[in-house]
Amino acid sequence: MQSKETSTPQIKRSKLPKQIRQGFGIIVLLLILWRLYLVFGVEQEYTVDIWARLLISGLVIGGVYSLIAIGYTLVYGILRMINFAHGEVMMVGTFAGYLVLEATKSITVPTPDNTLLSFSNAYPIISVILAFAIGMLIAATTGYFLEKIAYRPLRKAPRLIPLISAIGASIFLQNFAQLLFSPQTRDYVNPDIISRGAGWTMMINDSQVILPYTGVLTFVLSILLMIGLYTMIKKTKLGKAMRSVAMDKQTAALMGIDVNVIISRTFIISGALAGAAGVMWGLHNGLVYYFVGFLPGIKAFTAAVMGGIGNIPGAMLGGMLLGLMESLGPTALGISYQLKDVISFVILIVILIFRPNGILGEALSEEKV
Amino acid sequence: MNRQEFQKFSQHGLVFAIIMIFLVLIDFQTMFATVISKILGTNVLRGGLPEVQFMVIFLVLYSLWMGWFIARKEENKSRRIIMTLVASLSAGVVVGLFGLILNSLIQSGTDVRRYLAALSPESMKLFLLNLEGLGPLALLGVFTVSGLLGSVLSIILQSPSVSKWPKTIKTGISSTWQKITGSLPPFIRKNAKFLAYLVLGIVIIVLPTRWGSYNNFVTGLVGLYIILGIGLNIIVGLSGQLVLGFAAFFAMGAYSMAILNAPLPHGLMWGFWPALLVGVLMAVVAAILLGLPMMRLRGDYLAIVTLGFGEIIRILLKSDLLSNFSGGPRGIQDIKGPTIFGFPFNNDVQFTYLIIAGVILSIFVYKRLENSRTGRAWLAIKEDAIAARATGINVQRNKLLALCIGAAFAGLAGAFFAARNQFTGPNDHTLMVSINILSIVIVGGMNSIPGIILGAFTLKGLPEILREMENYRLLVFGGLLVFMMIARPDGLWPAKRPQLEKKIKPDTRDGDSPGKGDKNE
Repeated sequence: MQSKETSTPQIKRSKLPKQIRQGFGIIVLLLILWRLYLVFGVEQEYTVDIWARLLISGLVIGGVYSLIAIGYTLVYGILRMINFAHGEVMMVGTFAGYLVLEATKSITVPTPDNTLLSFSNAYPIISVILAFAIGMLIAATTGYFLEKIAYRPLRKAPRLIPLISAIGASIFLQNFAQLLFSPQTRDYVNPDIISRGAGWTMMINDSQVILPYTGVLTFVLSILLMIGLYTMIKKTKLGKAMRSVAMDKQTAALMGIDVNVIISRTFIISGALAGAAGVMWGLHNGLVYYFVGFLPGIKAFTAAVMGGIGNIPGAMLGGMLLGLMESLGPTALGISYQLKDVISFVILIVILIFRPNGILGEALSEEKV
Repeated sequence: MNRQEFQKFSQHGLVFAIIMIFLVLIDFQTMFATVISKILGTNVLRGGLPEVQFMVIFLVLYSLWMGWFIARKEENKSRRIIMTLVASLSAGVVVGLFGLILNSLIQSGTDVRRYLAALSPESMKLFLLNLEGLGPLALLGVFTVSGLLGSVLSIILQSPSVSKWPKTIKTGISSTWQKITGSLPPFIRKNAKFLAYLVLGIVIIVLPTRWGSYNNFVTGLVGLYIILGIGLNIIVGLSGQLVLGFAAFFAMGAYSMAILNAPLPHGLMWGFWPALLVGVLMAVVAAILLGLPMMRLRGDYLAIVTLGFGEIIRILLKSDLLSNFSGGPRGIQDIKGPTIFGFPFNNDVQFTYLIIAGVILSIFVYKRLENSRTGRAWLAIKEDAIAARATGINVQRNKLLALCIGAAFAGLAGAFFAARNQFTGPNDHTLMVSINILSIVIVGGMNSIPGIILGAFTLKGLPEILREMENYRLLVFGGLLVFMMIARPDGLWPAKRPQLEKKIKPDTRDGDSPGKGDKNE
């Protein structure tokens, strides 16, 4: 009961929290500026090539985060709920891509000069395309059934109920994958041409900086997928229907749009994007295990909130920004790289305190139906 | 039956067959058969396999459920039989084909465990009922026959003469109960409640000394989770804020106890009781620090932010940054237990008493809070924050208060936990702990103390007793959370208040709720 005494005085007057918030914000800003000044102005122990490496990895991770964040934003825009199991959909995609690459690795085909090669090395482009296609397909199927089983019966329930159901689905998928594939961490088998670590070398400041092929593939593909999605939302009939359902479900239904079908398709699209992100994650980072979707999921949610949840360009921007912050942040602030996850969580909290609408977000009052 | 219907029912069967295949892929069937064999009295060695007949029992139970599930909504009896026949035949065929694949895997000696870790040759053989080539046929037979039996069962259970049974049994029990209580002397009848508590008290005092240290360990664990569940229920159930980082407050309590009462990192050795108080206070301080800026956030944002907060605390505790302060990934060992008037608490029995005292204290505090002015204010905020503000409730203050009190419970449980295990480390405070507590509250029933106790026993105690379930525990948790939200959002043992409201609703709707009509339009 001692909490009663401690909690009351701070919030007796309604103006105080805002002032506390502003004061807190100024302190945080000053601290960050001071650290940046120390690292860049005084210590200067990191040279340009290190920054270049961090920049590359930040952009690559940012592309992956953007793709996942778009899934959160699409679903939030339409259902006004956080699809907590979205990270697990990505995990399913990663596993599917892994299995496809393992299968192509194990098949041997003869080459013109009579040597036996594995399929994935003989036809690397086909096998990577196959991995992406099947990864996206399986993840999209997971998304579809997720919506159908765990969310559709709860469409009219109070807000917290679908969220709890989503948490349950997330745990279920995680543990199913753990039981199915065992908890061990596995290595992604890339085709030899795009093996991890291989890449174009650049000379910056007399030292080698590698621009990895997987990183370029990830970045370019994520940008292409985002452009494709954006044109689909803006130009096609399905995109129009999705936008109208996001605006007002009842009116959209009156205009002859089958709301349930549109919601299903939204989940399929966001699942496919998450599956692509999962295969990219596997190709670039090389590790796959049952928990692989958890942190990217949370971080992509942070990215979606940062860009303004419900806003597609916002999610892309937020994902890129978060990737860069996470990659450059620990070095720029001079803290241990162990704490890079803390940076994303702190960013999430800080954004929700100061600007819950996000960078490109619309007003929150509309969402508070 | 036309073609469309035929397709529909065979699809129903297909769904059940696919569920079965997924269950086999994670080796769920062996676990279930082991549990059945344990319940029926045949113990299975750890790592060993159950006998074939228990696998048959599992398959029969599964397909009975399938038949009942498919047939239960159809009116016409003969149609019921036909549709279950179609469905269970298609399920049997698919499962049989799957069995053929498994059989060929066994015959060719392929080891698929590199990719499908649970699919060991022994458990595959057991799933084929040790019949090898005839296994698929046997599966087809079992599915078809017991699926049909399931539909027959549904016909029997829904027939008017049988569906009266529960009612007659209920009235019979209550009438005999009245007879028994009527025959008792008036002294006992007057003090029945008191006597019941007395008996319960004697059981609580006597039992821990009698039933061995393992049972005490399980009881203590369940007790800790009851305290945690009650704490989380104040936040989620009463004031309606979904908090996913509850383990952070638990960690505050546990680490305060560890740092102040263990020899190694600092050697403070304050003793148990001051450390307990500091642990509770630290949890409350953490709740204020988290809650003050966060109170204006809506439910789902709050959930994610608290999740982030919990993860920050865990990562910080694990990192090298704080390893001098909190022991880093290795945690803190040799935490001293409490002493009362010079008697040290060392073994599980004494800790069980301590935890039971904690549980009684928290139930008491909860009961007092629930019916207080504050408790009603919380419920009002949960139902509609804007309306609550309009009636003069300070929403932010009350929400923060709920968060603080809930955190205080978590701090208490954390301190007990650290002292009882004599150890705490970052892995004791993962997200899964928060999810466990949330599951207990949701599955048991929000705002219902018996529900939370039941939830803690089923979700924490039962898996400890049925060790075979250990690997599948979180899977079942996740599935249960989804299932409960869809089928029984009020929990296993729902609280009384919502039911009362439901009964009252029809009368008040036409009468004195002028605002409601405007809202709907």
